[in-house]
Amino acid sequence: MNRWTKILEDYGVVVALVILSLFSAIRRPDVFLQPENIRNIVNQSSFIGIVAVGMTLVIIAGGIDLSVGSIVAFAGACTVLCLNHVQDKGAMAIPLALAAGVGVGLGLGLLNGYLVSFGRLAPFIATLAGLVAFRSFTLVVAEGGEIRSMDFSAFPAIGAGGIPLPFQDRGGQTLMLNWSILVWVLVAVAAGFLLERTRFGRYVVAVGANERAARYSGISTAWVRFWTYSILGLLSGVAGALLSARFNSVASSTSGLYYELDAIAAVVIGGTPLSGGRGRVWGTVVGVLLLGVIQNLMVSEGVSNYWQGAVKGAIILLAVLIQRGSSRAAA
Amino acid sequence: MLEVRAIAKRYPAVQALDGVSLAFEPGKCHAVIGENGAGKSTLMKILAGIEHPSAGEVLLDGKPVAFRNVREASAHGIAMIHQELNLVDELTAAENIFLGREPTKGIAVDRRKMAQEAKQWLDAVRAPFGPEAKTGGLSVAGKQLIEIAKAVSQQARYLILDEPTAVLSERETEALFALLERLRAEGVGLIYISHLLDEVLRLSDTISVLRDGKHVATLTPEGATPADLAKLMVGRDLGEVFPPKAEIPQAEPALIVEDLSVPRWVKGAGFSVRPGEIVGLAGLVGSGRTELCEAVVGLRPCSGSVTVAGDKLTKRDPATMMNAGLAYLTEDRKDAGLHLTMSCTSNSTLANLRAYGRWVPNRADEKKAATKWIERLGTRIGACEDAVSSLSGGNQQKVALAKWLDARPKILLLDEPTRGVDVGAKREIYQLIHELAAEGLACVLVSSEMPEIVGLCHRVLVMREGKIVGELVGDDVTEHNIMLLAAGVEAA
Repeated sequence: MNRWTKILEDYGVVVALVILSLFSAIRRPDVFLQPENIRNIVNQSSFIGIVAVGMTLVIIAGGIDLSVGSIVAFAGACTVLCLNHVQDKGAMAIPLALAAGVGVGLGLGLLNGYLVSFGRLAPFIATLAGLVAFRSFTLVVAEGGEIRSMDFSAFPAIGAGGIPLPFQDRGGQTLMLNWSILVWVLVAVAAGFLLERTRFGRYVVAVGANERAARYSGISTAWVRFWTYSILGLLSGVAGALLSARFNSVASSTSGLYYELDAIAAVVIGGTPLSGGRGRVWGTVVGVLLLGVIQNLMVSEGVSNYWQGAVKGAIILLAVLIQRGSSRAAA
Repeated sequence: MLEVRAIAKRYPAVQALDGVSLAFEPGKCHAVIGENGAGKSTLMKILAGIEHPSAGEVLLDGKPVAFRNVREASAHGIAMIHQELNLVDELTAAENIFLGREPTKGIAVDRRKMAQEAKQWLDAVRAPFGPEAKTGGLSVAGKQLIEIAKAVSQQARYLILDEPTAVLSERETEALFALLERLRAEGVGLIYISHLLDEVLRLSDTISVLRDGKHVATLTPEGATPADLAKLMVGRDLGEVFPPKAEIPQAEPALIVEDLSVPRWVKGAGFSVRPGEIVGLAGLVGSGRTELCEAVVGLRPCSGSVTVAGDKLTKRDPATMMNAGLAYLTEDRKDAGLHLTMSCTSNSTLANLRAYGRWVPNRADEKKAATKWIERLGTRIGACEDAVSSLSGGNQQKVALAKWLDARPKILLLDEPTRGVDVGAKREIYQLIHELAAEGLACVLVSSEMPEIVGLCHRVLVMREGKIVGELVGDDVTEHNIMLLAAGVEAA
């Protein structure tokens, strides 16, 4: 029994994903198991997924970042603005625009990292300020509305295109594995390697587990935390740029809205405690997919929009309760 | 009379207690001693209602009792003063004493009554502060007095003390003993756990020894020596505790500290250490010893100069000082010395991780190094991957030592290296320090345990109120001389 509870605690999130997928498949075999539907779930998840991977590192190091949703929006807005501005540059226009978005994300991440590590602000407060301010920047540059790209072929193709899959969608077209999904996979693998294998990853865990002991061991704890926020900012910029390509526009008031909460929820559901000091990237990836499947299930079941938040909340609580079981067993 | 009969406690992995029967009398001090892991703490936790026995029974005045929790135990007059004190720093002394059972007037706390009663209990334990004192601002000794006052206010008839003097200075220890004497005279039964055998012999009426969860002996202190007790605890003859002091090779000092000051703590300290030399840093708790060490290794801002192997270091942060060859084994193992949730391997290599690969540490090499240190230090662990939190105090300390030795320091600062460590492991740590010095490491030893300083050090610096007030060399290194300097008494 002891072994089974341990497995449930360690892999509960996978079990939950399998159970919910089976449930969906049995309820609506005609809908859920369609390759196009599965591709859509993963594609929709990939943007929050990219952000959540970075959030995992920040949380393991003992921090939190509430500003990522607003960074996604602002980075996306800057991508489209830049694209429209440099349209005459031909083939260089899109790379320049993407670089602008990613760069803005990185810049804001560096700012967050600086405020938390060297400015000694509480992460919650510093990034709460970012949550509010960066959204405001977006509203300013978009004048409160939507920024539309003036490129109607190459740029939206980044959002729609990808690697061809051996399936067809309902219209008989070849199904694509979107670039954003690929980026998410690459980012997750890289972050997993960073966390598990590199010196930096070890320091991230050490700083989160016991900052004082880390400092006494000669680790520059401020720099470690600084880089976790910077990486998260960079990834939020990537997500923002890709998201703007997907819609070929950015809606200043709704783009990236609540991403920070979904990302944090996915990290926690994936088995990384909010208190930091340990955690896993793959858990977060599964956590994001779990949220995606739940969303998909609720839509196909016709659950009212108003109720969807309540179901999500219940899932988050459940995940935390299972985790509390595991930490009690360890004590 | 508080009795345990054939009590046993089984955890998933270990038999912590195995058929122990003991009787504790009111008005007597009964010491329970044993190595770490002998089962003392488990027994005490059963008495205090924190743990429940797997077999056997607890009897109070002849009647079987089974405490479901601490509250029930304290309702029966049994209170425990833990090694790690359980007080809320933000509250006042009075609020801590009455935490969870505040006197009320209507629905509001009757603050005046609470303060009055708290004052009465604080006076009873002769606390040098009033009920309004903020707990966080008090010394460890002061906090301990609050705990005892709290126990006394709950009419404790049996008081369990888990290593109460481990964190006290000599003077504070004396005050505590006087208080315990008074409580004993008033009929309170004291159940006393300590690693300090001299203290046990001095204080107790009865001494019981546990080894590997079993009760091996109960004796009276008359005629017993610390060596007898140690032998009973370990189950073998320990021989000489301290190895003979080695010759110091003639060499330039490895570390020179000049005119070092830390605001509020250290005033103009200067000293040097040669390779192969063990220099003691003695003094009362709060005399600035730890702060001096922390300043030397770059953990505290300070003025003055630090010269390592001839290089005067101007940029003093922990990483620079470590690279220069300094290592500092902290006094506070759990908060500053180790990452309890991380594995033995990760802890052992953390201070020297770059040596295993600039970007990607080679995990096989790390494990090899960790295994090497486990063998060299005789650390008893299950697997290298186990979290350090699963180890006993002595073995945790060895992992902390491994971390610093793995960084190949030239100068090792050891701050209370044997605190909370059992006799067997203590002796191994002494032997290790001796060997390291013989290999040419310059050692600075901070300790509140006089025998340790006297037994190991070639030279002793005594600190008082932030200043180095004296230096003792060779045969002058005696407990008596150190105490005179530390307490500020002129030698006759």
